[in-house]
Amino acid sequence: MKKKILVANRGEIAIRIIRAIQELGYTAVAVYETPDNDALHIRVADEAVWLGDGPRTDYLNIEKVIKAARKVGADAIHPGYGFLAENPDFAKACEDTGITFIGPSSEVISNLGDKVTARRIMAEANIPMVPGTQNLKAGDQGVDEAVAFGAKYGYPIMLKATAGGGGRGIRRVENEDQLRTEVHVARAEAKAAFNNDNVYIEKVVLTPKHVEVQILADAKGKTVHLGSRDCSIQRRNQKLVEIAPSLIEDRKLVDKICDTAVQAAKAANYFNAGTVEFLVDKDMNYYFMEINTRVQVEHTVTEMVTGIDIVRTQIKLALGKELAFNQEDVQIRGFAIEVRVNAEDPQNNFMPEAGKKVTVYRSPGGYGVRLDGFVYQGYTIPEDYDSLLVKMTVFGFSWNETVDRLRRCLANYVITGPKTTIPFYLKLVNDPDFQSGDFDTSFIETHPELIDYDEQGSEVNKLARLIAEIHFEGENKYAI
Amino acid sequence: MERIVTGMSIDEVLKTMRGHEGYYITNTARDLSQSDFKNRILLHTDLLAAPAREKANYFSLEITGGASVHVDILRKQVDPFLKLELLREQMPNTMFQTLCRGVNLFGYRPYPQNVIRLAVREFAKYVDVWRVFDFMNHIPNMLAVFEEVQKAGKILEPCVCFSTGPEHTDDFYVKKVGEILEVTGDEILLCIKNHGGLGTPRRIGQLVAAIKDSYPDIVIHYHGHNTDGNDVGRISAAVKNGAKIIDAADHSFTGYYGPPPILSVIHDLREEGYEPVGINESAIIETSEVLRSEREHYEYFESQFKGFSPTVQIHKLPGGAMGSSFEQAVKGDFLDKMPEILHDELPQVQKELGNYWSVTPGSQILWTTAVNNVLDGDRYGNPTGDLKNLLLGKYGPFPFYQPPDWIYEKVFGADWKKILEEQGGLEEIEDIDIEKERAALAKRLGYEPTEQQLVTYLQHPNDAVEFFKFEEKFGKVYVLPPSILMRRGGFKLGETLQFKDHNGKEHVIEIGPKQKSEDGKWEVYLNVDHHERQYSFQEVVQGSVAQEAQLSKEEVEDLAKAGDVRAPFKANVCEISVEEGQDVKVGDRLAMVEAMKMQTPVDSVVNGKVEKIFTELGRALNVGDKMIKIKVDEG
Repeated sequence: MKKKILVANRGEIAIRIIRAIQELGYTAVAVYETPDNDALHIRVADEAVWLGDGPRTDYLNIEKVIKAARKVGADAIHPGYGFLAENPDFAKACEDTGITFIGPSSEVISNLGDKVTARRIMAEANIPMVPGTQNLKAGDQGVDEAVAFGAKYGYPIMLKATAGGGGRGIRRVENEDQLRTEVHVARAEAKAAFNNDNVYIEKVVLTPKHVEVQILADAKGKTVHLGSRDCSIQRRNQKLVEIAPSLIEDRKLVDKICDTAVQAAKAANYFNAGTVEFLVDKDMNYYFMEINTRVQVEHTVTEMVTGIDIVRTQIKLALGKELAFNQEDVQIRGFAIEVRVNAEDPQNNFMPEAGKKVTVYRSPGGYGVRLDGFVYQGYTIPEDYDSLLVKMTVFGFSWNETVDRLRRCLANYVITGPKTTIPFYLKLVNDPDFQSGDFDTSFIETHPELIDYDEQGSEVNKLARLIAEIHFEGENKYAI
Repeated sequence: MERIVTGMSIDEVLKTMRGHEGYYITNTARDLSQSDFKNRILLHTDLLAAPAREKANYFSLEITGGASVHVDILRKQVDPFLKLELLREQMPNTMFQTLCRGVNLFGYRPYPQNVIRLAVREFAKYVDVWRVFDFMNHIPNMLAVFEEVQKAGKILEPCVCFSTGPEHTDDFYVKKVGEILEVTGDEILLCIKNHGGLGTPRRIGQLVAAIKDSYPDIVIHYHGHNTDGNDVGRISAAVKNGAKIIDAADHSFTGYYGPPPILSVIHDLREEGYEPVGINESAIIETSEVLRSEREHYEYFESQFKGFSPTVQIHKLPGGAMGSSFEQAVKGDFLDKMPEILHDELPQVQKELGNYWSVTPGSQILWTTAVNNVLDGDRYGNPTGDLKNLLLGKYGPFPFYQPPDWIYEKVFGADWKKILEEQGGLEEIEDIDIEKERAALAKRLGYEPTEQQLVTYLQHPNDAVEFFKFEEKFGKVYVLPPSILMRRGGFKLGETLQFKDHNGKEHVIEIGPKQKSEDGKWEVYLNVDHHERQYSFQEVVQGSVAQEAQLSKEEVEDLAKAGDVRAPFKANVCEISVEEGQDVKVGDRLAMVEAMKMQTPVDSVVNGKVEKIFTELGRALNVGDKMIKIKVDEG
């Protein structure tokens, strides 16, 4: 019988997964909350199940999603990214009900989701990591331990609450004096916030590049990488632009990072698709950061330069297929850049523009452009979810060609209604540092001029604005 | 060489002209635009006409000056310097002519000497012929411009302003010409500036002959207006009596108060045996063919009153002020009072105020005084600041006689003699610190201004800043034809607009639908170079201001006595003279407001302390709008 796969997600990634399911000849089932009534993923799916009124509660409700899968008789569930994708309880619930979870096992998700466990696994496998300590000893002993670390590795360093996460429970320390007081403060704070006063230390890697490696592993333990990605262009830890492969000139180093990623995945007993994230400092030292146990937003750039359909492979691996190719079969060809077209106003601190209706939508076409989106003309962007509208991925044979193509495609992209990040990216593609590939995670901070654009900037757009005003007013009030 | 071209010195010009039997023509495009189209003829139109006008071989094209510099930035949103630069590209040989007031230049109030000199230097880069006048024919008022023009090696054309009446004799004018020559030397063109188009052909002929009798070598440029329909006659008489250059305009744009058609002048004088030197008549016809189809787009700016106005001989309003006067009458809803104002009150005021020359800014003083006198029913009871300045002799001495004492008493009160003694006399304006002004402009713009921007700013500070900001927002809009910029009633759905931008790139804009969105905003859709663009507009709630009962003059006065200072009439704030917390006494100036080119001080009627300033520089006020709150001193 035709296999049925439920997609436990929404937006562009739901559509991306539905496409792969349908290409495989399977039946795709969408789920949705009420605010997504008009969402495109429901329309393109073969079946759809309403989960509840939401918002952001039913997509996260393990019981309801499993119930929906059972109701439609789904063989497998693809969780996409976000929502339940990295929730080990959800993977476990699938395992318990005999529904195939498209991703690694609940145990792997659980291990890699826990920072301390993940660090331990990687340390045992000799994966290079940002220098750090175990939990600091209690009392003044711990302070001495911290001071000794500072003396050895230099400042700044980070004091982190072991039970913290998502940016919480982290304090940056600039010198020894500060460290001596901050250890106590951090402990007290961790105790108050997480009811656990364990803290540890990590060296701060200044202005690193964010380099990550796409991994695929089958059930037999065959693990390959699909090359590197650079995701350094971020705004407050949110990636905006992703590139494949990394532009680091020392290709041997990049190869080494990729090999390390495979080792790391193996050490974690990894299965299915995942991403191993590294920081690369100015001296080209690289450090393991974490493994993301799901399909990444930016998987498209890797697909473009390798030709390998990652989501299709995920499904096949989950359904028991082996990897049909070896590491040496993976060839990186050309470059790809993905920009996340968000409904945000970059000039207003990237404030979301949700709730607005897309009055005009015209996307670019032609050679070398791929769009993964879910908006259409007349669609009102729900206020309840994230602001990603479309991922535009361009690819080209050389870096310069790819940048040129990106510029052309951005200039040809018309979305009116909500403000978007498109004009911001247009400034970005014209930035000499970006063009020369010279960027790290401090890029947006150090290039404030990127948000200094005039949306109606070109001469004709300025004139058109006056024409619109004359049309609206019925006369040129500036001439009267 | 027959043709007079740019770059020729005054010597060469004079030599060439004196060597010819014929006469020369100035195409007075600017004055035509100002008189008959409220100065709205766009650069776009002048650029269309430029190639044909260049071929026509005029002595000069009068294309800037007068109020046009102000209207360029205020209503046409074109940089007055860029305008000249672009026209020069199309017209490399034709001299460009300007008209400026000695003390006011292109503005309405006297400027400091250093501002005048800087402006002349900057404009002299583009302008070859400088016609300079003073509405009191007071020569010292023009000296700074005379000097700078001659220093720049440009052609100086001082004016004697002409009017009619018992005092306006040939002797008077011949003497004036002598006074001018005394300060300028012989190397000038002399303009007889007949801005009202006054007098008969016979009168003008006599005047020209009288001047030529005394100064046989002088080259006279006759400038007139066709307000009464008879300027061709006056021009003809001027040329027959020895004038060498005359002012006329392209016929397809002529009509009422501007100069008469060039071709009519040529035809008339040909019969009399005078030929225009070097003129290409087919190019004149071609110009009008080019312009003819543009005229319809300016219809809104044409005079509300069609037809000639021979009663100009009674009211003497200059051609350049006719259109705007009628416009004010319509906007101020006193059109029915116009016959009384024009034919009874204005001639009377004119006589009472010394029978000086009715031209800017003197004409505005006469006009506003006459209008106030009629509308208020209390003659001279509501004097403007400029009328006070006139009476105090700030503009110069009265040429023939001083206005009667009762007017002084009415305007200044019982103490008028003391006031006249203390404050009377020519206004001395101290030089300003130009670098300080440059810094102030840079601060307002957020970038370092160019020298030209500075010059524009020094003349019309607020309007210049508004204009520069407009350009930042809307770009260089001179590229848009009048069919777009002067469109009334909006565009048709699907209408296609085509134009080239400032850089020469061709653009197509298609008009899309206009609709109201759910949140009450209006959305206008345009297809700009094949890209959909959307523009949102907030609907202005009609009548929200009008419904508020307007305060009467008495109410405004009563409130002022309580320290609640309100706008006395519809005006713009052009100066705020006090700061919050400042002590003020009765008679202290609180602010200046400007309406109809006239500045009026708002003085305190109480002693007290400025508590709050509600208004700001450049704000447009309606009658009764809150301006300043003063805490009135007890007792």
